[in-house]
Amino acid sequence: MSSCNEMRVEFKSIAQNERMVVAAFITETNPTLEEVSDIKTAVSEAVTNSIIHAYDNREGIIHIKAKTENRLVTIWVTDEGHGIEDIKKAMEPMYTTKANEDRSGLGFSFMEALMDGIEVCSKKNVGTTVKMWKEIGATGHHFN
Amino acid sequence: MKDFEYKNGIFIYYLPKELDHFAADRLKNKTADLFDENIRYLVFDFKNTVLMDSSGIGLITGRYRKVHDNGGMVYVINVNEKIDKLLLLSGIYRIVSKRENSNEIINELLEEGYYE
Repeated sequence: MSSCNEMRVEFKSIAQNERMVVAAFITETNPTLEEVSDIKTAVSEAVTNSIIHAYDNREGIIHIKAKTENRLVTIWVTDEGHGIEDIKKAMEPMYTTKANEDRSGLGFSFMEALMDGIEVCSKKNVGTTVKMWKEIGATGHHFN
Repeated sequence: MKDFEYKNGIFIYYLPKELDHFAADRLKNKTADLFDENIRYLVFDFKNTVLMDSSGIGLITGRYRKVHDNGGMVYVINVNEKIDKLLLLSGIYRIVSKRENSNEIINELLEEGYYE
């Protein structure tokens, strides 16, 4: 049996509960607790990037779209902020433009490690979309 | 529940359930004035933490710099599997030490005569 579903949500960059929405949505793919945690952390990374880089800690709108196709979860996190000038550079481990604000420069590294794949699309002064995906059940023990 | 405790030269952060950008910033600001040259041992307690993103790594490295400049040591304790995976990935174990709990640190310091 194949199943497919999609959700969209948008919220202000000052909100703190976006992870819960995604976690609830992916439940139907029957993920392990670890997989839920990995996806929540990856979403948190993408949203944090939008908040501190795209919107400079000021208010802005962040869109999240998530899709499940059987057990493949795909998530898009989009902002309408500054955009990334050099995506390749931004994705280098430990590269950060905000070292003096205690940023580790590991956001993209964490997303890459926790998900199966990630693509970043950005345009200066228009915004950034991070697309990331993960196959649920690729490894590990499952409940139910 | 307390966020931190500072006594006898040991500063302990009791980290929240979800250590994200907001939580890391809040902790940093709340304790900014307390970071002085008297801190010898800085401890991050992950007992209640189920989620951490790279903001947590930023918090640790930022505090590390302040304590390390004065010859202090930094530890993480009560680290579960999920958090351990991210700490390993970040490479932070090159600069901070992992211990089971605060008793282990205190016993170690007592044995070495660094702490009374």
